[in-house]
Amino acid sequence: MADSIEDMIRAYGLTKHYGGKPGKKAVDDLGFEVLPGTVTGFLGPNGAGKSTTMRMLLGLDAPTRGRATIGGREYAGHPAPLHEVGALLEARSVHPGRSAFHHLMALAHTHSIPRSRVEAVLGLAGISEVARKRVKGFSLGMGQRLGIAAALLGDPATVILDEPVNGLDPEGVLWVRNLLKSLAAEGRTVLVSSHLMSEMALTADHLIIIGRGRLLADTTVERFVRESGTGTVKVVTPEAGRLAELLAAPAVHITGDTPGVLDVRGTDAEHIGRTAAAHGIPLYELTPQNASLEQAFMDLTRDSVEYVASTGAPQPEGAAA
Amino acid sequence: MSSPTPTRNPAPPSAAPTTATTASAGYRLSTRGVLRSEWHKLWTLRSTWIALTAGVALVLAVGITMGATYDGDDAEIDTIVFTLFGTQLSQICLAVLGILVTAGEYSTGMIRASLTAVPTRLSVLWSKAGIFTAVAFAVSLVTNVVTFLAAQIWLAGSDKELTLTDDGVLAALTTSAASLTLLSLIALGLGALLRSVPGAIGAFVGGVIILPEIAAMLPLDAIDTAVRYFPAQAASSLGSVARVENTIAPGTALLTLALWAAVIIAASSVLLKRRDV
Ligand SMILES: Nc1ncnc2c1ncn2[C@@H]1O[C@H](COP(=O)(O)OP(=O)(O)OP(=O)(O)O)[C@@H](O)[C@H]1O
Ligand SMILES: [Mg+2]
Repeated sequence: MADSIEDMIRAYGLTKHYGGKPGKKAVDDLGFEVLPGTVTGFLGPNGAGKSTTMRMLLGLDAPTRGRATIGGREYAGHPAPLHEVGALLEARSVHPGRSAFHHLMALAHTHSIPRSRVEAVLGLAGISEVARKRVKGFSLGMGQRLGIAAALLGDPATVILDEPVNGLDPEGVLWVRNLLKSLAAEGRTVLVSSHLMSEMALTADHLIIIGRGRLLADTTVERFVRESGTGTVKVVTPEAGRLAELLAAPAVHITGDTPGVLDVRGTDAEHIGRTAAAHGIPLYELTPQNASLEQAFMDLTRDSVEYVASTGAPQPEGAAA
Repeated sequence: MSSPTPTRNPAPPSAAPTTATTASAGYRLSTRGVLRSEWHKLWTLRSTWIALTAGVALVLAVGITMGATYDGDDAEIDTIVFTLFGTQLSQICLAVLGILVTAGEYSTGMIRASLTAVPTRLSVLWSKAGIFTAVAFAVSLVTNVVTFLAAQIWLAGSDKELTLTDDGVLAALTTSAASLTLLSLIALGLGALLRSVPGAIGAFVGGVIILPEIAAMLPLDAIDTAVRYFPAQAASSLGSVARVENTIAPGTALLTLALWAAVIIAASSVLLKRRDV
């Protein structure tokens, strides 16, 4: 899209109080930009203000202070809002007594979108076969697919999805992941919220992380992963120095603060194990650090988590779950 | 449910491009489009068909029963009021339909989709009101005329024999339909105002139908006069060939009802613009 930079989402000092009580801010002076052509993950613990922010982007909730624009204008100022932004909201937004087809057709009429486009998005979401059934009977995942179909209806330049994989089976999760990537590859702006850092690491290019309504991080996935230490393999061996030399390669980075312990990045456990075996080096431990991405996210948001489980033992530091 | 799972055949995004390759640039939000959308929404819910069918059936059934069983006992009652006695019941059906049109979107969450598609908001409410008014009036008027003609099959030859062309008959049938429609439009506005189906039904039955009746029983002339301008009391002067006692004139009544509806729709418009969804 030639005008792609025009399609970005911008939030300036977005603030939302609920119930007129200034003490409690759902969103607090939030500012960020979301660029076209990339998938931007919007992360935060429960109650962080993700859904509230998305509703403000769409003009459904009025900000107490601040402003949000999409493509340089407030959402309501566009002559064809559905062609500008397609959205999947967290809360159910469909009349259960209407069929999926009629639900989409009713929305389509507002923008003179033809029936063929309705059929196309039903097919795209994989719900053509149940399109004539009333939404009442839909499973959580089918409802979610209908919501995604509605978001794509107007062929929008910007897509805003609030927890789209919620309720989807593994196949559906993969479908959404590929869909988001292809939408971004077409030059669209894609903002998608999630609780799961690991899912976002696979899907998103950019991350906006909030906690208690405030911006905690605005970074790329690559940088977040690099700084979080994900993808390292912990190796415990009495011959740490020799193994480090054998593993040395341009892409491999080895750190070791404790004697006898190596943190290896840039290769996998299998390669390390084989190398050690080939040279007769005993290994006491060989552990890929899988949980650390989620751990890094939790570390970042720890101070801003509102709803912590109060029972249960404290988590062991850095342990794989 | 034995419906096929949608996951069986999820279209791979690579195979089905997300872009509408043709003419998506022609998509545009318009008032005409919102009207079409609301028209489509109205007719794609079973509750609409049930409410309208029930409303029509009640008026017809009561009208035919009144005609077929007439034995001269109720000679003093106006013929149109007598024939259209069922409108007392169909009023509830139409009022509930009006409430479902607005409050039903809030109780189901549909309103979020509607206002995302039409973020300027007001045209959604006004289209709902316009389409509902047209449909309710057309259906009521046709029902009234058909019921009148059907009842006259039995009433011919009695003191209640009338024809459509007799003085005041068509006017009574029409103002009856208008009064049903405007009262139901007030219910629609209450639905938009209160955003709750049971809340709006309660407000309509309690506030519009029952409360003024109680107020009118107070021994105060000022209240008695004021109550005549309340919606249900104004409506009671309509749908009759003869002038109904203790009510305002039919022309004034129509204007009064229209004003009530306009005020309530205006209030809900202001709130629709200001409130979060
Ligand atoms: N309509 C509302 N009225 C009052 N408070 C609200 C409303 N909507 C949200 N809140 C509050 O605002 C805060 C942010 O909620 P929000 O739903 O935006 O969080 P979230 O990040 O989407 O959470 P989750 O991950 O659980 O979906 C919460 O404390 C919530 O209780
Ligand atoms: Mg949320």
